[in-house]
Amino acid sequence: MLIIIAWRNLWRHRTRSLAIITSVALGVWAGAFIVSLYYGMGNERVRIAIEQEVSHIQVHHPKFRDDHDVVFNFALDSLEAALRHTPGVKAFSLRTTVQGMLANASGSNGVQVNGVDPDAEDKTRGLKNFIINGGYFEAEKKHQVLVGKKLADKMKLAPGNKIVLTFQDIEQNITSGAFRIAGIYETANAPLDERNVYVRRGDLDELLDTPGRGTEAAVLLTDESELPAAMAALTRQLPGLEVQDWRAISPETALVMSSLDISSFIIIAIILIALAFGIVNTMLMAVLERTREIGMLMAVGMTKLRLFGMVVLETLLLTLTGCPIGFGLAWLANSWLSKKGIDLSAIAENLLKGFGYGVVIYPDLPGDKVCQIIQIVFVTALLASVFPAWKALKMRPAEAIRH
Amino acid sequence: MKTTVIDIHNVSKIYNPDTIPVHAVNGVHLHIERGEFTALVGPSGSGKTTLLNIIGGLDVPTEGKVVINDTDITALSPNRLIQFRLHNIGFVFQSFNLIPVLTASENVEFIMLLQGAPKAERERRVKELMHAVGLSDKMDVRPAQLSGGQQQRVAVARALASKPQFILADEPTANLDSQSATNLLDMMAQLNREEGMTFIFSTHDARVIERARRVITLVDGRIASDTASVSVA
Repeated sequence: MLIIIAWRNLWRHRTRSLAIITSVALGVWAGAFIVSLYYGMGNERVRIAIEQEVSHIQVHHPKFRDDHDVVFNFALDSLEAALRHTPGVKAFSLRTTVQGMLANASGSNGVQVNGVDPDAEDKTRGLKNFIINGGYFEAEKKHQVLVGKKLADKMKLAPGNKIVLTFQDIEQNITSGAFRIAGIYETANAPLDERNVYVRRGDLDELLDTPGRGTEAAVLLTDESELPAAMAALTRQLPGLEVQDWRAISPETALVMSSLDISSFIIIAIILIALAFGIVNTMLMAVLERTREIGMLMAVGMTKLRLFGMVVLETLLLTLTGCPIGFGLAWLANSWLSKKGIDLSAIAENLLKGFGYGVVIYPDLPGDKVCQIIQIVFVTALLASVFPAWKALKMRPAEAIRH
Repeated sequence: MKTTVIDIHNVSKIYNPDTIPVHAVNGVHLHIERGEFTALVGPSGSGKTTLLNIIGGLDVPTEGKVVINDTDITALSPNRLIQFRLHNIGFVFQSFNLIPVLTASENVEFIMLLQGAPKAERERRVKELMHAVGLSDKMDVRPAQLSGGQQQRVAVARALASKPQFILADEPTANLDSQSATNLLDMMAQLNREEGMTFIFSTHDARVIERARRVITLVDGRIASDTASVSVA
C-alpha cells in the first residue's frame, strides 16, 4: 500500500509533478544524447584509425618502435605466407617505411615515405578512394608518389609536379630519388596526410637496397571480434617479430574510447545533479505541506523506517517516471540520426579533421551506457530523497498534527 | 470487577523549562477503567490536549509516568512506543486527518496493514467496521467526497481497526454540524455500550460533555474536578 500511497501522492499536484517528470525526461534525453554523440564520435575515430590509418594489427621488427630506422627490416615472404593462412584476415599491406625529406623548388618538408604495393594498400586502407586530385598509381609508370592534401597545399604541389625524396638507405648513406606526383589524397586525418607520402615498394626498395624485405605489415581483419584470435595466431607464427593491435599502435585512439566513459559519466552526473535540486525542492514542498498527515501517520503507528521509505519511494517514482520518457526521446533521436548522421562540416570541419575525426557523426548509445544512466538517475533520486525524508522524520507527531 | 486501563502517576509537562516555563500539565493523577466514556474538559490552555497527547504517547511528560495495561509507556524507546501506539491506542483527530489519496476502506485497512494483518482478515474487518459506522456504501469513496461527519466516522473506524485498548478523541465534534456530531456520538456511545470500547475525549462541546459518563475538568494543568455523570451515554 506504501507504493499506492506514494504513487497517488505524486498526482496530488499534477502540474508540479509533471514539471519535474518533464525535467527528468529532458535531462535523461540530453544526457543520453550527449553520450550517444560522444560514442558516435569515438566510434568514428576508431573506424578511421583502423580503416584509414593503422589497421587492426601491425607487425614490426621488435626494435622498430623505438627507432623507425629501415635497418630494422624483416623478410616479407615468410610473413606473407603466415598472413595468408591466418583466419579472419581480410587484407594486408606489406610496407617499407623510411623517414625522409620531400623537396621541390619552393622548399622541403619532413615526411614518412611509405613504400607500398598499390593494390594491397588499397584493399587494406582504401587509399585509392581518398584521391581528390590526379590519379592512383599507374601500372606502367615508375617513380610515382601520392601526396596528402595538407602537404600539397603547404608546398603548392599538384599532380604532375616533380619532387625529390631524400633519406638514408640501409647502409646509412644519404640517397635521393625523383618522383612525379600521381595524385593528391585526403583522409579524415589531416596531420597524417601532411606527414605521409606513398610510393611503390619496388621503387623504394631499389633506393634503399632492401629487395624482398619490409619494415611493416598492416593487417585488416574481417571484424574486430577476430582480433584476439588473429593476434594469438600471428604472435605464435612470427616469434621474432612484434605483433601489436591498434590499441597499442595508436594509444591515443584507445585513450579516446576509455576517456569517453569518464567524460560521459561526468556530463550525465552534472545534468542530474542540477535536476536533483529541483527534485529536492519538489519533495520538500510535498513533505512540508503534508505535515499534519505525516504527524497522523506517526501517531497511528507508522514507523520511522516506513515513513522514510514512503518519501524515498515517492521520490523514486517521481524521478523514474521521467526516465523511460527520456530514453524514449533519446531512442527516437538516435534511430533517426544514427542513419542520417550529423554533418558538422559546416562548423567544425578543420577542427575535426585536425584530430582525425570524421565530419559526419553517427550517434551510438551502447546498452551498458543506458544501464549506467539508469543507475545514476536511481542514485540521484535516492540522494535527492534523503533531505525531504529526513525532514519528515524530524517531525514530532503531537506538533505536526496541530500544524 | 473493574480493570484499570490507564494509570497516570503524578504527570507534569513543562514547556520551555529553561526560558519561560509553561506548566501545561501539573501533577496529574488519574485512573481510567475499561469501558469508560470520559470527557476531559476545561478552558483553552487548561492542558486537555497535552494530557491526551501524553496518554497517547505522542508527547513525553517532564515528570511522572503513564502506565497502560501494566506497560509504563514513558519508559519505552521511541520505536517501541510507535509499536505500542499501533497495537494499543486508537486516535480520532479534530480535523479527521484521513489519508486523502486513499479511499475510505483503504484508510481503515491501512492501520491493519501496518500491523501486518493478513489480507483476508483485513478485508473482513474493513467490511465489519465500515458497516458498524454506517458507511458500507462509501467504501470506495475518497475522503474529499465525504461530508465532515462521514469522514469522522471513517476516522473512528480506522481507530477501531487496530483493536485498541482505548480510543483517544481530540475535539472529535469540533468541525461537525449538530446533526453529524449527534450521529457520531450516538455511534461512539453504541460502540462503548455494546463492545465495551473505552473512549476518552478532550472537548469543549457541551453535547459531548452531556453524553460522557465521567467528566474530568482541567484548570491550569491540574484536575479541578472529576465527576461521574448520572447520564447514560
